[in-house]
Amino acid sequence: MADKPKLAFYWASSCGGCEITITELGMRLIDVGDLVDIVFWPAAMDFKYADVEALKDKEIDICFYNGAIRNSENEAIAHLLRRKSKILIAFGSCSHLGGIPGLANLFDIETLLERVFDTAPSLDDSRGTRPQLKNEMPEGEIEIPELYNRVKTLAQTVEVDYFMPGCPPVVDQVWSVFQTILAGQLPEKGSVIGAQNKTNCDVCTRKKGSSGMRIKEFKRPHEVELDPEMCFLTQGVVCLGPATRAGCGLPCINGNMPCRGCYGPPDGVVDQGTKLVSAIASLVDTDDPQVLGQILEGVVDPVGLSYRFGLAASILSDLKYGK
Amino acid sequence: MESNHPLTFADQVRAMPGGEHLDLCYSCGTCVSKCMIQQKLEPEYNPRRLLRMVMMDMREEAFNSPTTWLCSACDLCYPACPQQIHISDVIEAVKNLAVEAGYSTPLETVEVDEARCSGCAICVMTCPYEAPHLIEKEVNGVMDRFSEVDAENCMGCGMCVAACPMGAIARPGVSNAEISSQIDIKTQNSSPSLVVFICDWCLRVDADLEILESYPDNVRVIHIPCSGRIDPQMALIALNSGIDGVLVCGCAPGECHYQRGNYVSSCKLSLLDKMLGQMDLANGQVRFVQLGTQDRGRIRHEIDGMLVQLLQEAS
Repeated sequence: MADKPKLAFYWASSCGGCEITITELGMRLIDVGDLVDIVFWPAAMDFKYADVEALKDKEIDICFYNGAIRNSENEAIAHLLRRKSKILIAFGSCSHLGGIPGLANLFDIETLLERVFDTAPSLDDSRGTRPQLKNEMPEGEIEIPELYNRVKTLAQTVEVDYFMPGCPPVVDQVWSVFQTILAGQLPEKGSVIGAQNKTNCDVCTRKKGSSGMRIKEFKRPHEVELDPEMCFLTQGVVCLGPATRAGCGLPCINGNMPCRGCYGPPDGVVDQGTKLVSAIASLVDTDDPQVLGQILEGVVDPVGLSYRFGLAASILSDLKYGK
Repeated sequence: MESNHPLTFADQVRAMPGGEHLDLCYSCGTCVSKCMIQQKLEPEYNPRRLLRMVMMDMREEAFNSPTTWLCSACDLCYPACPQQIHISDVIEAVKNLAVEAGYSTPLETVEVDEARCSGCAICVMTCPYEAPHLIEKEVNGVMDRFSEVDAENCMGCGMCVAACPMGAIARPGVSNAEISSQIDIKTQNSSPSLVVFICDWCLRVDADLEILESYPDNVRVIHIPCSGRIDPQMALIALNSGIDGVLVCGCAPGECHYQRGNYVSSCKLSLLDKMLGQMDLANGQVRFVQLGTQDRGRIRHEIDGMLVQLLQEAS
């Protein structure tokens, strides 16, 4: 047992999809189980935080951390697992870039709490109940984690060795990363693993746009019958493919839905959303300022569109909440 | 009708698409009086003379003339021409013959880094001049798709540099790194800091350029070939580095030197403004102004106005 590499899996602010992608390995997971020692995996096995605290520093060889940093518990466990792990991997969009929970950065925490606990139309609570950090109960004081004002990525919280993108990372990439790890062939620290360097357009086989093919009207996928052979942008539908790292195998695009950008920006690109905005704005076709305004009204939610998975890691979040 | 005479230069130009208008020109020179290139960049630039050279069979002189290469088809001359000659078409006919004869453009043009290009064709769709196109070629035994730029069609506006989501396109002098490196203001005093991205064509007279130079260090002027070169990321990087405001100046509607750059920048900055609004951050810290032919001196009012507004925001 002693010479097997020790692995840990953790979920922070996430939906659980990253856990499912690991179980999707199916029978291959049994092979992995033979080769490694899993020392911590709250979603699947019965370990407690105390078990992790009892480990020696750097005793975990590789830790897969999924989920964003939304509260004090996410943060504390990130620090704990960083201390106990030789290699820490940000696994999935949420820990890589903030993911869907990162969209909460559109609003400060007070606005969100007000919505959830006071003004949501489905709510019927005249007492104005709000969760309290500490509560006196007959059995003693209980505590819940503190919700932070800003959703952060794992790398904004602790030093991260590798990033594995995807919402969730596709199972074939997970398997290839496991094999890379077991073969001891991990690349330079700080790299993105389980993905490629260029964008989805590099591997997408749809017919690309040609000179003068521009956008006269932005449409959302449900508003148009999509041609399965043509580039979405040529059909006026915003696809995040040109601003998104390849590696997923294009399940959305092959399902005739535009890419939503979960694999994050490609190598060398800092801010996925502004790059996408710069690209789609360059395709707008009109020389009439009024028509131009009407065309842009078709981009209903530019932040949600271009930073669906990357808002927590974006310059916009830095601007709003400070670096 | 068959002729034994070899084709003259003028015959060749007439035979090219757009060249058929050549004979309508009676050399009044109205086009020259409208031309921004002649006024701002190259005093030798002269469409009237180029058309004359063609008629006088001065082939080599025409091919070497800056007029052949620098026309960006902004078409400010077209509505002014009493003969309604589409002059940029005639110039393009001459340019195409020059390219056939082996001449090449003197302009700084864009280059594609194939190690980064993903072949998305956004540059192809963006370019007003049909300079980039997709090619397929074998790399390490695999067919791959890249953008390739016809240098003779490229006018160096940089719209594709900003549009490329991979950052795979660069133009010497206005690459992403070169522009970003200029966004650094360290102000000692409390006056607001402002980055002004100014299109090379929207200021019509030297006096306006002098206005730009008259501001102290808290106003950083960054020259770009076209407002279409602006990338919203640059504005955010500037704001995030502590700079208070970003002013982007381009040409008035209908006057863009590169046909559509001012609309493109207007779209980018409108979307950026919408995004800042969604984040509850919008307070007019990014502004786009369009300066027209009649707007001499307006740049001072725009910069001063923005500084006053930023000062009010800060207090």
